[in-house]
Amino acid sequence: MAQLLAPALPDRARMRRSAPAAVSAVALIAMIGVCSSLQPGVLTVEGLTLVLSATVPLVIAAQAQMTLMAVGDIDLGIGNFVGLVTVVSATLLVSSPLVGALVLAGLVAAYAVLGLLIHLREVPALIATLGASFVWLGLGLFLLPTPGGTTPGWLASFGAWQPAGFPAPLLPILVVALLVYLLTARSAAGVRMRGLGSNPVALRRAGLRPLTSRVIAYATAGALGVLSGLVLASQTGGGDVSSASSYTLMTVAAVILGGGSFSGGNAVPWGAAIGGVTLGLVSVVLSLLDVRSDMQSAVQGVIVLAVLAGRVVVGKVLR
Amino acid sequence: MHVDNLPAGGTAPPETDTGPAARPPVVTARGVTKAYGRTRALTGVDLEVRAGEVLGLVGHNGAGKSTLMRVLAGLEACDTGTVLVHGSRASAEDFRSVRMAYQETSLCPDLTVAENMWVSSRHCLPRLGWRRAASDAVRRRLDEMFPGHGVSPRDRVEDLSLARRQMVEIARACLVDRLDLLILDEPTESLGPDAARSLYAYVRRLTETGTAVLLISHRIREVLSVADRVAVLRDGAVTAERPAAGLGEPDVLELMGAHVATPAATGTRAAAGGAAARETVAELRGATGPGLREVTLRVGRGEVVGLAGLAGQGQQEVLERLWRPVRRDTTVKVTRAYVPGDRQRSGVLPLWSVGDNLIVTALRGIARRGLRRPAEERAVVGDWVKRLAIRGGAEAGITELSGGNQQKVIVARAFASPAGLVLLDDPFRGVDVHTKTDLYRLIREEAAKGRSIVWYSSENAEMAHCDRVYVFRAGRIVAELTGEEISEERIIAVSFNEDGGND
Repeated sequence: MAQLLAPALPDRARMRRSAPAAVSAVALIAMIGVCSSLQPGVLTVEGLTLVLSATVPLVIAAQAQMTLMAVGDIDLGIGNFVGLVTVVSATLLVSSPLVGALVLAGLVAAYAVLGLLIHLREVPALIATLGASFVWLGLGLFLLPTPGGTTPGWLASFGAWQPAGFPAPLLPILVVALLVYLLTARSAAGVRMRGLGSNPVALRRAGLRPLTSRVIAYATAGALGVLSGLVLASQTGGGDVSSASSYTLMTVAAVILGGGSFSGGNAVPWGAAIGGVTLGLVSVVLSLLDVRSDMQSAVQGVIVLAVLAGRVVVGKVLR
Repeated sequence: MHVDNLPAGGTAPPETDTGPAARPPVVTARGVTKAYGRTRALTGVDLEVRAGEVLGLVGHNGAGKSTLMRVLAGLEACDTGTVLVHGSRASAEDFRSVRMAYQETSLCPDLTVAENMWVSSRHCLPRLGWRRAASDAVRRRLDEMFPGHGVSPRDRVEDLSLARRQMVEIARACLVDRLDLLILDEPTESLGPDAARSLYAYVRRLTETGTAVLLISHRIREVLSVADRVAVLRDGAVTAERPAAGLGEPDVLELMGAHVATPAATGTRAAAGGAAARETVAELRGATGPGLREVTLRVGRGEVVGLAGLAGQGQQEVLERLWRPVRRDTTVKVTRAYVPGDRQRSGVLPLWSVGDNLIVTALRGIARRGLRRPAEERAVVGDWVKRLAIRGGAEAGITELSGGNQQKVIVARAFASPAGLVLLDDPFRGVDVHTKTDLYRLIREEAAKGRSIVWYSSENAEMAHCDRVYVFRAGRIVAELTGEEISEERIIAVSFNEDGGND
């Protein structure tokens, strides 16, 4: 009798785990539906490009957040970090590309060091990344006190790239999600990272150093943060350290919408992508609906809560 | 994929005609001591595990079994003394052939079975295509060890039942290119009888190829039937080593220092006939829901009601209903206290002392106008610490105590509260005989004072201490046993008969 039950169980469990992403996918489709009924042009390639492009840096930053949440940490500095990257790419990367590239590489290394410190000093990631966020902000203000600057030509042309046949923003969203999926869900390094979030004791007993897992995760998050900043700079055409400060909590919300959890152990790259696009689209829908801009944050929050409630309900039904 | 070579990958098979004493030792401990702070866990252990034998290790909780295993598996260094693998001082490399299956499992719940295999057996897996190799290897090993296991390598561990997790854990420990010593820590606590039989058959096959097996279990009868030799650990040292042949359960208990008390439960148990006359304090009327079907039961004042049957047949759901009587079909007239079975996860407050852990439920009853009364609290705590002989006293940190003593604190916490109904969720899993005897007596004493106790246990023998026992199968009550009817044999017979009841 137990054998008969067995094959049915995992499928249900798998359904339960992908339910949050499915719920936000439904919300995503609903929002595109609303958009297209208000603006029929949205469903064309140009329309989708316009609507989706704003979500790309957010989605990439959400992947960075997802990587850290998979090891059970949280990054409260990602918003300012992305802002700092836009500043670097609007200043140093233009004036002296080599120095700029080195600085960006140094920022990735700084993230790895941050992970190292969090592990060795046993500082909660919450506090360490919050502290780091002020460092990123300070560095950004030092390099570029007021928003401005110009992005390098190659970056600007990437931002303006308009291939025929498919909406350009889909490409970075899908490619990054695929890469993060391969790293966190398919590779051995991903097993180490999720193992750390899941059961660090088991990891240690098996002779794997949790430190390595954490450093890999932080370096990955740093690299994704740099990528997110570059994409954001390519779209805005300049640098502004506070341009992405809302990302910090939006990325956390995106990961949760996509099925991630605060306790770690889970990697949801596709879910984070869906969650990020959903969140990014909310503001587009709200401006199409002529919601007053000072009310937008509140309405956005209500929509996020509604999707999360839907996730809880679906999870209960599938239990 | 040399993990598949098992179990032939061990050392050369010993010649069959030589006795166990002539076989070469695989792991030797000499004068091993280990202390954690002031607690001396090991006080000088001399132990030899020889190739191709099953060595049973028995001892109370707190005797130092867990520490000894960690030292033998190379997870912890000893303070003094030496651990030799194949006669030479062991390096980390040597310990790779010593594997341990943990009682509480050392699997990552969020990872799949195959990924967990990578975590512990990555040395034996190819760098590319490890996922498939690990899947194949674990499936083959599980098929070998537990036919009909129902585990797929793609399943996440968190979705598996406790029994299947244990199977995966044991298979995990066996997946290695060269296995010299396999340490099994309470392997059958969560396995069913069939799986336990398959496991021991596999253990036999392993030893035939020269692998040594160190078996730790509280189930002494099981140890005696499987082991070649039995070592008794007491107060951090091996006090006796005997061949298992010819040794009986009472002998081992005596070696362990237990007062072999035949269950005196029958004598102290209230007359079964009186049960119906008792005032009902809690009842379920045709409760149906997830995991429960048409369950009707009642609990009388001062009664000890047992919930028996195979694990996971609805007993815990009943406890949950009684703990939170929110539905209309459940009535509970008295206050409740709950003793969780999984002390690591839901039982102890690890940062608090023994006293704080013990008093937390009773706190509100003792306090006056919202203010705590430390003197009274101390008196209550001191009383319980003495009554249950909790080692370390009230001031010790809870995590410094051994598992058995922690469990005593958790049980005392419930009984120190004024609760009229105490719910026990299999609290004595993996607790030593001595502690159990103390706690059984406590339960009877408290019931005599008019408290009601609902007790779920996976160990059917424990049910002999109940006034009435409901036996569960697939969310239904299949039998109600009272008084003399309650026996291990009877419960097993009832829980297994009528196959196909699980649709």
